[in-house]
Amino acid sequence: MSAAAAAPVRRRTDPALQVPSAEALDARILDAIGVYALDDDAFLDLARELFAYQVGTNAPYAAFARAQGFDANRLPDRIERIPAVPAAAFKDARLATFPPARTAVWFETSGTSRGGSGRHELDTTRLYEAALLASFDRMMLDGGERLRYLNLVPDPHERPHSSLGFMLGVVARERGDGRGGWYLHGDELDVDTFAGAAARARADGAAVCVATTAFALVALLDALAERNANLALPAGSRIMETGGFKGRTRVVERATLYREASARLGIPLDAIVAEYGMTELSSQYYDDPAGRDHIEPRVKVAPPWLRAIVVDGDGRPVPEGVVGAIRHVDLANRGSVIAVETEDLGALVAGATPHTSGRRLVLFGREQGAELRGCSLDAETLLARRG
Amino acid sequence: MAEALRALPAARIVAHVADAARRWRDADLPPRVRVTAEIERRLGYSTPVVDFALDRLFSGIDRDALESAIAAELGAVRALDGPLERQGLPPAWARGVERVAIVSSDTTIGVALVPAIFALCAKCDVTVKDRSDALVAAFFASLAEEHPAFARSALARPWTGGDDPHEAELFRTADVVVAFGGDEALRAIRERCGAETRFVPFGHRASIGRLTGADAAALDGALADRIVRDALLYDGEGCLSLHALFVDAGGTELERVANVLRTAGERVALEFPGGARDAAAVARTAAYRNLAEFRAASGSGAVLRARDAMLVIEPPAADGPPFLPRVLPVYAGDDDAVASYVARLRLPVQALGVVACDANSVALAARIGAVRVAPFGAMQSPPVAGHHGGRPRIADFIRWIDGA
Repeated sequence: MSAAAAAPVRRRTDPALQVPSAEALDARILDAIGVYALDDDAFLDLARELFAYQVGTNAPYAAFARAQGFDANRLPDRIERIPAVPAAAFKDARLATFPPARTAVWFETSGTSRGGSGRHELDTTRLYEAALLASFDRMMLDGGERLRYLNLVPDPHERPHSSLGFMLGVVARERGDGRGGWYLHGDELDVDTFAGAAARARADGAAVCVATTAFALVALLDALAERNANLALPAGSRIMETGGFKGRTRVVERATLYREASARLGIPLDAIVAEYGMTELSSQYYDDPAGRDHIEPRVKVAPPWLRAIVVDGDGRPVPEGVVGAIRHVDLANRGSVIAVETEDLGALVAGATPHTSGRRLVLFGREQGAELRGCSLDAETLLARRG
Repeated sequence: MAEALRALPAARIVAHVADAARRWRDADLPPRVRVTAEIERRLGYSTPVVDFALDRLFSGIDRDALESAIAAELGAVRALDGPLERQGLPPAWARGVERVAIVSSDTTIGVALVPAIFALCAKCDVTVKDRSDALVAAFFASLAEEHPAFARSALARPWTGGDDPHEAELFRTADVVVAFGGDEALRAIRERCGAETRFVPFGHRASIGRLTGADAAALDGALADRIVRDALLYDGEGCLSLHALFVDAGGTELERVANVLRTAGERVALEFPGGARDAAAVARTAAYRNLAEFRAASGSGAVLRARDAMLVIEPPAADGPPFLPRVLPVYAGDDDAVASYVARLRLPVQALGVVACDANSVALAARIGAVRVAPFGAMQSPPVAGHHGGRPRIADFIRWIDGA
């Protein structure tokens, strides 16, 4: 590839600089997670070390990086230049820095709209758990309180390879009051049991966190509307909504969804928080706490060890305010690949808040009602026809 | 409403239509200039692409072609005017139905115009759901200039669809509803039609090309230009666009073919520049390219760029065509591979692009359910008398009245 000759690199000239071990990297990443801080220089240093480690241990990623002119001795000089694998590559190749025998857990990726699935494998859950809890504590909890988790996401006992289920399982275990439950079984929502749990929480005066996909929330609200029922959840309750409507035929505007959820569940709008993550990552974005008093636009913030880069069709970073595809550089992805590129659309916006150092992200869903342009078949329809 | 049109002999209607179409072949015709700008605004295509489409559309609408198509299906153009004596058959009148509705919510350029013209030739009242570029309305205005009868029988207007009361009334009362659209749209329209409404659906389809081993060996720049043009025109968004190419070659021969096609891509992309794309399409295309490059880095396939176009060599066949703007997947495989690809993906095929429309090509078309075998370079230029979607052109608008 022609890119190889022109790739901007920073050569490793210091012979004392060895490719670090997984343990050493984990320790440094855990430090950053622990203090919840990592400035730009420190991020780049750690990212380059992690990249060097991964191209030494992850053969498919190394080949991809080599095609772009990088290897363990020719490291990207900026995080924007770290080769980012497309998310769909997880269903094409095993992207792991360790042998299969050392896989501790794996999460099933949905791949792309083309179907099929892949695996995001972890050799340890330490980084994953530390990263998710550090973010969750700051973005969903006011500090220290133990909520009751009523989960409308896959039960990790039923679906052990759901990253969302795993995430909420960890949260409920580490931050819950031990009396929560799981109310989504397959695609079926157990509304009666959920309503019963909500009533008990009300009787106990226990604030709850309803962790839900957007689609499950719609199903819950539809069911409550059919029964003409409202569930006045105790004060301090909140909703963590995630997942959007990917692959679903019924799409509800976010503003409509949040207003209805607020009315039916008795939860203030500013206590409804969207989380944005993906199976191929180990870290999550959340709505910026500074902007939750309105529904649109919500701005996402990343924890210090996760950076979003928005790129154009040729993979070049675009300026703030310009919409493009989102690329994630996630240092907690030590066991797979540091950088993942998606088809999700977003734009970076300026403005530091107490929760971020000026890197904020606005997500854009697929444009609704956009005029279709041609009579050609499209990939989604083809997939639907194939069943 | 259609009395004025019914009073005209069909041959005269055909002549008026052909005359109006002839005027529209002039790229400087004021309404065409306006419509060209509107199409560019609506679809984002470049002027050369829109001009090509309109030239192709209106050059195909001539008197001979229309009369031949009608005669082929009905026996004679006069069959539209009254009972026609027929050798060995009872006399019969090919009387057009009263009302025809045509909906083309997602087509490229002028697709609704051809069925509208044939319905008018059948002396039907025709209402077309027009696009925002108002191409159909503008052409109907030209027809009305040819003869005032068209002003009352040929209506085109945009409407929102869904709960629009006008649309509901139209579907309920139309004798024939012609609809272009995706699965969901077609189902929804069909449900709203009357019990005896004749529903003529044109669903979304794909088109495939194939080069035999001999074709591949003989591939030169001129043929490659024609192949690539079929892929790049309208950014691959038409059902007649080339969405996947099979080449019965491998190894270095496939590599040579790919490079010849890439060179052609450089030329054709310059002649027909790509249209404006929204951020989502850009992101999907980039993701597809990145994945192909990821695979290529591990030794599987290759990605060849030609300006804003891209050839992806030997992507996994199981993924199917990407249906992305100006992206052409090229697979190594013979006719059996083509058939297996189509069957596995349950791909509805419109056209099969070939070098020679010979018996083998027709046999392959029959195997894969294609409704047209087209030489490369002509895939996007279907004859007006052809059976688009495998259907007749005018017979759908006829209710036969037998004289015995």
